[in-house]
Amino acid sequence: MLDHFASGASPVHRLDPAAKTVAALAAVLATVLVGRGHFLPLAPVAAALAVYHAIGRVPLKYSAKRLLICSPFAAAAAVLFPLLEPGKAVWAATLGGWTVAVTEEGLLRAADIVSKFFLCVWAVLLLLSTTRFQDMITALGRLRVPRILVTQMAFMYRYLWVLSDEAMRLRIARAARDCGYGSWRLRMRSTTAVVGMLFLRTLDRSERIYRAMAARGFDGRMGVAHAEKMRATDWLFAIAAIAAAAGIVAWDRLAYA
Amino acid sequence: MDEPTLYLADVRYRYPTGEEALRGVTLSVGAGERVGLIGPNGAGKSTLLLAIAGFVPAAGTVRLAGHTLSRATVGHVRSHLGLVFQDPDDQLFMPRVGDDVAFGPSTMGLNPHEVHMRVHEALEAVDLEGYEMRAPYHLSVGEKRRAAIATVLAMRPQVLALDEPSANLDPRGRRRLIELLRGMPNTMLVVGHDLDMILEVCGRTVLLDGGRVVADGPSGEILADRTLLESHGLELPLGLAALRNQK
Repeated sequence: MLDHFASGASPVHRLDPAAKTVAALAAVLATVLVGRGHFLPLAPVAAALAVYHAIGRVPLKYSAKRLLICSPFAAAAAVLFPLLEPGKAVWAATLGGWTVAVTEEGLLRAADIVSKFFLCVWAVLLLLSTTRFQDMITALGRLRVPRILVTQMAFMYRYLWVLSDEAMRLRIARAARDCGYGSWRLRMRSTTAVVGMLFLRTLDRSERIYRAMAARGFDGRMGVAHAEKMRATDWLFAIAAIAAAAGIVAWDRLAYA
Repeated sequence: MDEPTLYLADVRYRYPTGEEALRGVTLSVGAGERVGLIGPNGAGKSTLLLAIAGFVPAAGTVRLAGHTLSRATVGHVRSHLGLVFQDPDDQLFMPRVGDDVAFGPSTMGLNPHEVHMRVHEALEAVDLEGYEMRAPYHLSVGEKRRAAIATVLAMRPQVLALDEPSANLDPRGRRRLIELLRGMPNTMLVVGHDLDMILEVCGRTVLLDGGRVVADGPSGEILADRTLLESHGLELPLGLAALRNQK
């Protein structure tokens, strides 16, 4: 699921997860720090991601699909900003007293947001599809991400399937008695009931899990069994990523000053 | 010749992972017959129930109450098959027992009066009169199980299919369930590891292993065949074992 292609064996798969996380963060920061409407400084970010993508041999179809799943957020910005941003109108229509205008500034802003959005999602996507989720959790712990967040992510990953299984069983049990002639209201009511029941059962399950963990001495720390060592290549990769990001931001500031 | 109430011919199913769960199950169950479906874990018992209800896309033929299972008839087939799941918490999803029992009949398009009558009749059949307003979440396991049976009885199914009905019940709850099932006129398919219960409830037993029927016959014979049971990961029912030891 989340880390479907993460068990590959390419050079980027072998990089230390902490180094990769730092690099992805650097790519995201560089992207969002570049000034509005400056597209040229984004080009090296895109190029770096493309190279990483190729080395990691992440299937294009797979990443395109994931990008599409995230795209509704960008689509909302793409549609709304051209209409909302005040500025020079390139196209306008009057509808019973209301004037709808697409502005040049708005179009630019939309293009800016959409391109940055895709670059950021792409960076995170590449990180996830070349790093096993468990390794990333460990890496986040090493990067001093608050423990409670790391633990929560680990649990989310572990119990996502359990939860979807539970939901599926409830849905099947309902479908087994659904002959299709029920009213719309009944359908809605039973759907909300299923969701409510899922919530109750999740709550119960979490209680049981906690007790089982406490019984085995859980004190809020997830055991990090093997603390990996960063190799020279890992340091090189992370530092290069940070330097490149800093360079891009500096270039942007100087060139468009 | 009477058409069997439930007829399966060469039912096959392979999990998306490639494992074969059902490798050609052929079975026919006559009206009013109570059949125990036994076998080790992973034999395909629960999958077979899901296949009969059309929840897993199995190959082969499933005929229930005169309808051949297909995309078009799946609603019909399900309305004639009372599927009682292993975990009653899955089955009971409405906030009140009465609403839950009414769910099936309502989706059959019955009028409110008829639905009300069915609810009353079904709860009465499982000894839960007056439980209409109770929250399923707060019932005991035995009550939940009986409520789950009521939810399908209210649909007056031709075949009642129960998955591990006696699991987690205390001896009294189990006894009550056995008496309840024995007193019902419905055609029944009882899946389980409680062989003593199956011996009491079902006249006929089908042994499933590796996705195939390996034995099919009177419960008194199959459940008394120690070699057969043990070679398929099962044991002689305690009741019969005790009898033997006395001899």
